[in-house]
Order: sequence, then structure tokens, then C-alpha cells
Amino acid sequence: MLEMKANHLAVKQQEVWQVKVGREEQLNATLQALIIKRDQLKAELKANTSLQNLRTLLDKTNAPCERDVEDMENGSENSQTLLLMARHTQLKDLLHAHHLIGGYNVLLTKGKGVCVSIATAYEGLYLETYNLEINLQCKIRISRHNIPPFIPLETMVKQGNMQTDIRAFLDTLSQYLNAYVGRRQQLHLVKEIHNSVQVMESNALCTILVLMFTVPGEKARAALCTLEYNDHTQCLPTRVLIESEDTALASSPQWKKDQALLLETPVHRALVTLKKKGSIA
Amino acid sequence: MNNHLGVYETHIKVLQEEIAALQCQKEKNDRELTIHIGGSMKDALLSMAGRETGAKTGNSLRDIRAHLTAEIKELEEDLVRQTKMNGIVLTNCSVKTLEKNSRKMVQQYRLAGHCSLLGFQVEIEVTDVQEDAAVVTTITVLNIIMDTTECKEFGKFVSGVEENRDLLLFFRTLRRFSDRCDDRHRTFQHFQKLYPGVVSLPGGCRSEIMLIQSPKLPGCSLTLSWTIEVSSGGEVTPRLDLVSKMPEQALQFDSRMAIENAPDAFQCLLRVLGVEASIQALIQSVSQF
Repeated sequence: MLEMKANHLAVKQQEVWQVKVGREEQLNATLQALIIKRDQLKAELKANTSLQNLRTLLDKTNAPCERDVEDMENGSENSQTLLLMARHTQLKDLLHAHHLIGGYNVLLTKGKGVCVSIATAYEGLYLETYNLEINLQCKIRISRHNIPPFIPLETMVKQGNMQTDIRAFLDTLSQYLNAYVGRRQQLHLVKEIHNSVQVMESNALCTILVLMFTVPGEKARAALCTLEYNDHTQCLPTRVLIESEDTALASSPQWKKDQALLLETPVHRALVTLKKKGSIA
Repeated sequence: MNNHLGVYETHIKVLQEEIAALQCQKEKNDRELTIHIGGSMKDALLSMAGRETGAKTGNSLRDIRAHLTAEIKELEEDLVRQTKMNGIVLTNCSVKTLEKNSRKMVQQYRLAGHCSLLGFQVEIEVTDVQEDAAVVTTITVLNIIMDTTECKEFGKFVSGVEENRDLLLFFRTLRRFSDRCDDRHRTFQHFQKLYPGVVSLPGGCRSEIMLIQSPKLPGCSLTLSWTIEVSSGGEVTPRLDLVSKMPEQALQFDSRMAIENAPDAFQCLLRVLGVEASIQALIQSVSQF
């Protein structure tokens, strides 16, 4: 009996011991994996910090001497690579900056040509981009583009100096495109913000705009305002005409001032002022 | 034995906390740092991290360096092309991420550079918002500092641009303004070299004034003022005006009213002969006194 008991106890002890060993191995394995993960994260973060530091150094001196770099990295093998990486990020940032400030984003195409993008924006809002594919062989010509037809591209090419000064040509084109987009955006904002003002007429190039105002008073009167934009490189009208059945209204000094306002302030903002002044409803 | 296992468990807990903290730092970095880690950059970073921990990685560090060097060469060529085409030299660009979540990102750019001889520093705050299928980019803050020496003429335009955040208009106009300044500078310098006894530039060669005097007639002078006006819409217009100065006694001898009529006559000349020929004619007529 005792012997059986002793055996039983021994087996039990053996089992417990095996479970404990198994558990220990398990825990050890987990521990090792975690140590590796932690070391990896630490190394990544360290590399990132070094990269930041090197980038700051590069931004300041643009040609850091070996010693500065090595000082930073405590002579680690990675200093060369990190310096290359810092330079890589610096170049990428500069290129992105060029794009941000409205640069022409020149890309070389196969077959001796370039692809140029013209960015447009109005009052801080970036709008669409137009593209031109220019062939640079013997005579410079535009092979493909997505410029809308109401922009006089052909005329600009003929009258301009695209052959000798591509940048001047692109600058002119950019002026026209940005002005068009600016006028269009103003019209969009008028429709969006000013519900009391009715847009009677507008054209594709946004060079004519006819608006109908309601003039507040004992008897609400209507006034028709025509804005002509004859300088297609600008976002402001060259002529403003205000007509009303009430002829006295159109010639009042109040309206003369309002006319002047519409000539020097973009229409969506001018309307805000006119409403505040009580000239229109 | 139990104590032994307990030690393991404690270690594990400590490590888990450490890892959580490191992960947190990593996420913070990803959010704030705008260094775009991708492609060969990512390989390099992982490789370096791997080396430190003794793990084996895909490409050798030397291959990665070669790859990076090749990419850098391409990027540098691209930058030269962009700089040439845009006429703007950017010497410095630093980016900071102010806010970042799944739908919106706000970044602050600090740029420094110059357009020909006109230096600038620009601070831009850009907001990118994911709307439907596209990303809408807006400039929310714009601050511009110009080298003040010759940009008094430009100052009012810059204030307007900052208010409306018209960054693209600013750079388009800066280029044109700079071209006109260079024209003026070149022309003034040309004439000063050619006629050193007659032509002087009291404000320096980057100024707007050219003084024409004959050494034989002190007290009589012609002042040519060449201003470059910039409208709020970015139109750049050079304007040349002539002002004549004559002492009282000399005016008596000016029977043909040549000097009094000089300003108007000059405007006619400009229309017919253009700027350089007109100035040439003016200087020659003065030297002949």
C-alpha cells in the first residue's frame, strides 16, 4: 500500500515538475521575443532621431564635414547611410516645395519632350492642374494638352516666343488659366454664399457676369448689374454697369460708390460689403 | 520554483510596458515627423535597425547605400530642372506636421530662397482634407518676408497676397517683378559704364533713380525715375518719368523751352524708340551741351 502511494506521489511530482518546466520554457520564449521586439523598436527610434538631427545639420550647412556627422553618430557605421537618407529627404522636401509654390513640375518624357503642369489656385484654395506635353525636337511645339478651348492657346503660341523663351510662354498661359479659374471660383462663391442675388448670365470663360439684386426699401426694386472682365489675365472687372427701372437709383451717389467697389474688390466679397451697407438685400 | 516563474512574469510585464511606451513614441513620430519614409528609405531604416539587433535583413547596407545614391542623383537633376523652369531658387525647406488624423492633415512649411537678386522667406500653413474621392488642399496661413532693400515697391502687393493667401500669385508676380528689376539694373549699369561723366546712380545701381548731368552745366540736371508698379492682381508695370531741374538764370536762355518740355518729349521718345534708345538719345543730347 505504502509502495503504491509512494509511486503515485512520485508520478504526481514528476507531472507537476514537467508542467513547471513547460511553463518556464513558454515564459522564456515569450520573454526572448519581447526583448527582440523592444530592441528593434529602440533601434528604429534611434535611427529616426539621428535622421532628424542630420537633416537639421544639412539644412544649416548644406555640406556637413565628416567630423560633424561622426560626432553625431558616435562613429557608428550607420553615419554614411544616415547622411544619404537625410539628403534624400531634403531633396524630396525641396521638390515638394517647388510643387507647392506653383512650379511647372517638368517631367522628361521618352522621345525628347517634356510634360509640364500648370497649377491653379484662388484665395488659398488649390484648384485643377492643366498639363501640356511639349515636343522639343527641332521646332518646339505642343503635342498634347488639356487646356480648355476658350483659352486662346494657339494665339499665345503664334504671338508668343515659345521657341526662344518657354518660361515666358508658360508664365503667360499660367496667368490666363489662373485668372479664368479665379473668376470662375468667384462665380461659384456668389452662387453659394449669396442666395438673394440671382445670376442671370455668365459665360464659359467667365468674362461676363450679369447679376440681379433686390434693392431694399419701402418698395423692393430690382437692379441689374453687369460685370465685364475685358482683361482676361485679371480677376477684377474692367467695367461695371448698374441698371434699374428706377432711374434715380442708378445715378445716385450711393450706387456710384458701389460701382467703384465692384471694380476693385472681387465680386463675392464686394457683395458682402454691399449687403452690410444696405445697398442690396 | 514558483519564485523563478514569478521573475519571468515580472520581466515580461516590464518589457510589455516598455514596448507600449516605445510604440507610443513611434506613433507620435509618425504623426509629427514629415520625413517621408518609403521605398529605399524604409529599407535603409529597417536595415539599420536590424543590424543593431543582430537580425538578418534583406539587402545589404552597401546595396541600400548604392540605391540611395542613385536616387539622390536623380532627385538632384530633377531639382535643377525645376529651379531652371520656375526661375525660383529654394535654398531651404523645413516641414512640420501640426495636426494629422485619418481625414485631415495640417503642415507648416518654412521656405527660404531667392528669385534672381530678390530674397524671400515664406511661411505657409497647408491643410489637406479628404473630401469624397479627392483631397482638397487649402492654404490657411501665409507669411512673407522680403529682403527690404529694393522691395518697397513690392510691399503693398505682398500684404494683399498674405491676406488672400494667394501663394501662387505671389511667386508668379515675383518672377515678373524680378525680371523688370533686372532689366532696369542692367540698363542703368550699361549707361553708367558708357557715360561715366554724365550718368550717375545716386541710390546705387539697384535703385530707381538715374541722374543725368553735363559737367559743363552744373545745377542743370535731368532725373530719370524708373519705377516698377505692382497692382493687387499682380500686373507689373514699369514707368519711366523724367524730371528736369534748372536754375533760374539758365531758364532765361532756354528760349526753345527745350528743358521745360523735356519730360513730355521723353515720353514721346519712349513710345517711338523704346527705353534704351530713348535714354541713349537723352544722354547724348545732354553731353553735347
